[in-house]
Amino acid sequence: MAINYVEGDQIRVTKADWNLVDIEYYNGEKFYGLEPRRLFPLSGLTKYITLLDVENKEEHAVIRDLATLMPESRAVIEECLNEYYLIPRIIRLLEREEKYGILKWTVETDRGVRSFDIRNRHSDIKVLYDGRVLVRDSDDNRYEIPNLNELDKSSMRILNMDI
Amino acid sequence: MEEKSPITNRPIPQQALSLVTKQLDSGESVLFAVVGDLGLDGKYAQTVLFVSEKRFFVTDASLDGGIRAYVHTDVEKIEVKRMYGNARLSVTFKSGEKCKAFRSTYAVASLCDAAALFIEHMSTGTADLAEELDIVDATYEKMMSVCPKCGRTLLRPGADCIQCQSKKNLAGKLLKYVKPETGRLLFSLLLSLITTGMALVPPYITSILVDDILPNNNKEMLNIVVLVLFGTYIVQHLIGVFRGYMLRVSGDNIVRDLRNDVYRKAQYLPMKFYDKTSTGSVINRISGDTATIQGFMLRISQEVVVQFFLMVGIIAIMFAMNWKLSLLSLIPVPFVVIGARIFGRKIAPFYRRIWRRWSAVTSVLTDTIPCVRVIKSFAGEQRAVSRFEKYNDEWRKVDIRSARITTVFPNIVSFVITCGSLLIWLVGGNWVIDSNGAALSAGILVSFISYTSMFYGPVNFFANLSDSYQGALSSAERVLDILDTEPEHDFQKGNIPEKIEGKIEFRNVNFSFDRTKKVLSNINLVIEPGDIVGIVGTTGSGKSTLINLIMRFYDHYDGEILMDGKDIRDIDMEYYRSRIGYVQQEPMMFSDTIFNNIAYGVPDAPVEAVMHAATVANAHGFIALQPDAYDSMLGERGVGLSGGEKQRLSIARAVLKNPSILIFDEATAAVDSETENLIQTAIERLISGRTTLMIAHRLSTLRKANKIIVVDKGEIIENGSHEELMALKGKYYKLIQIQSMSEQLRKDKEEANFE
Repeated sequence: MAINYVEGDQIRVTKADWNLVDIEYYNGEKFYGLEPRRLFPLSGLTKYITLLDVENKEEHAVIRDLATLMPESRAVIEECLNEYYLIPRIIRLLEREEKYGILKWTVETDRGVRSFDIRNRHSDIKVLYDGRVLVRDSDDNRYEIPNLNELDKSSMRILNMDI
Repeated sequence: MEEKSPITNRPIPQQALSLVTKQLDSGESVLFAVVGDLGLDGKYAQTVLFVSEKRFFVTDASLDGGIRAYVHTDVEKIEVKRMYGNARLSVTFKSGEKCKAFRSTYAVASLCDAAALFIEHMSTGTADLAEELDIVDATYEKMMSVCPKCGRTLLRPGADCIQCQSKKNLAGKLLKYVKPETGRLLFSLLLSLITTGMALVPPYITSILVDDILPNNNKEMLNIVVLVLFGTYIVQHLIGVFRGYMLRVSGDNIVRDLRNDVYRKAQYLPMKFYDKTSTGSVINRISGDTATIQGFMLRISQEVVVQFFLMVGIIAIMFAMNWKLSLLSLIPVPFVVIGARIFGRKIAPFYRRIWRRWSAVTSVLTDTIPCVRVIKSFAGEQRAVSRFEKYNDEWRKVDIRSARITTVFPNIVSFVITCGSLLIWLVGGNWVIDSNGAALSAGILVSFISYTSMFYGPVNFFANLSDSYQGALSSAERVLDILDTEPEHDFQKGNIPEKIEGKIEFRNVNFSFDRTKKVLSNINLVIEPGDIVGIVGTTGSGKSTLINLIMRFYDHYDGEILMDGKDIRDIDMEYYRSRIGYVQQEPMMFSDTIFNNIAYGVPDAPVEAVMHAATVANAHGFIALQPDAYDSMLGERGVGLSGGEKQRLSIARAVLKNPSILIFDEATAAVDSETENLIQTAIERLISGRTTLMIAHRLSTLRKANKIIVVDKGEIIENGSHEELMALKGKYYKLIQIQSMSEQLRKDKEEANFE
């Protein structure tokens, strides 16, 4: 069995209900209600987007690279992905409190200010080699610092306590 | 009727409350509310989902008028769609219209589940309100089972939080290990105080030497003084030897107890802990961190006291000799103390980082050394080496960076101290010369300088104390992480039923490892005593999770699992597990003899019982052929035996246990047909009369099963006898079709190879 890779103008994507899309191949073949999801949610945001048939829980196709799609199709997929993946980007670290062994961060994200608990700083704060920092809170929500080197001094000082 | 306040997870914002109150009809009341944290646009906001008897309302700033109402009976389908980091309440109405009603992060997703279930049931118009509310109530109660202080999940609603209790008194927790050594420690403390007192004598005698004995050419006195000094030194060092030995004994006792406790605790930690923590880091905590804490506890209980008395003694003597010079010599102290504080703050994150990097290095070790076969077979040596070198280098970089601080600071301190003594030489020397020894004698100046240099010993010690304190604190944090983690819940310790017949019942069991994805949903299943049940399904379908729940590796599921009608969480865990024989896909062997490996579950088993078990498991034959037979030592992971042989040993283990329930998790997945037959006959001998669950990849191994369960994507989709399921022509039928084709192929191939 081979993966059905699609790219370029092979398909036209249109928005369906929720975060689903319908696709139409250039030969007129149509598929409905597919859910776009990232195969590499951490390492590849625009590459290898799988289109899942959620009803039958099967993969229908994989888009190698969003950049190759027609602009309208691409916008539809991106809209769905943005809905599905909520990974607020941390812009600033505002406050850090450590009590009873549990860490509490208050941060400013691109989606507003948020306070959350981190259970275990060793496993829930991951620094990747490119300077990206992935954070997971006690409710399993995810956050991301796109590049720790671009943080301001005071945020960096807070972050440095934990990494 | 008195207005009951609605069930809620958090205080309802006043604005939302007044919005919804305006919408309510007379007689309608809000039953419960979910205070959410995410707007429909994906931005953080305080939103609320209100549910009444007949409608539900959502308040969200992006809605028209800030609120929208929906009628339960209009709803065709309502479900919580868990996405990535957020969840959505999707509603399909009977009119065909679809809508995204509410959005939240995972923090309240399970409450939304409860709300969706409630609304779905109410939408039929026939549901029992009180019953439905009970379910909602239970979910809220479960959500509230968290410590109000630290937010961690508690053993049961209202229980004390172990973590908050203990963290309040970290020192108290560690003192527990010092307590048994109190006598020895106090005695050696006393000895240290004696030696400290004695250490104060020589500089004083020096001043007598310089001022009286030498100028007066008193040879007799000189001999006496030298003899006294000699005696002092002998006593001082003899006490030192004795004290050192005593401290070593106490220290070893402390670290032994601490290590034992951490290891014991590590054994009883739930699987959940090991799912998230690498074994390398646990090993490191038991071996390394405990030693750091021990060192620190000795410092605290001994050195701190000694150095404190030394400091006080010196200051007293110095002031008695000359208060002006004493004040002068205190000038560098504030610099040293302030410096130490700054240093402490700078170095703390480094200790964490060093530990992290070192932990990464040891994880590579514990991962790769046992997997050396895989590495070699894939010619991955170079990659393993590079990976190790990379991590090792990361550790080196952080360590060197911290070394810059750790080495610069003490040198600055000793430089400041030296400058201090220069100041005393300068000022004191001038006084001696100017007053010709009247204001200050040369002897006192010399002994003063000796005291000054001695004085900075304790100052330096206290300045560096923060350093070792920081190191010990991060070690303590990691050790307490293990000591304070709740062990596997043994809710009903000592509750031992007379016998386990082997009736297993799953009632509405739902399970997810981390709340993000349901692994098992709506499992309802009855297994009668003596049933042989085959569990079939594709990889990742949830078969093994089902077994993990029966084994009580995870207890945090919804619903109930009953054994002979009793909730398995109400049965003594040790007894319960002792009644289950579990044969894993990859049997793990300890570095011990074959005999001890078989007798692992029953350490005092008679020799012949072990041999009988080996015979039943078709293992006796190959064991007898080993040169050391039952005494053969197995290396790490049982090197020296084939997979099939190890599997038969693990079956022998299960036989010896004489369990009421047997579980085979793909026991024959990794062996050839001939060995499979040997194992299969062993299994068949073993299972007679026992409730047996078999996960099987090869469906042919299920020929004895009287019941087959087909698990797919976390749900039981088919359940019945082989014949019933074949007649059903569903998933099982399909699997049989596929397998009999490949089975035929495999047999043909094997036969071809023989020819």
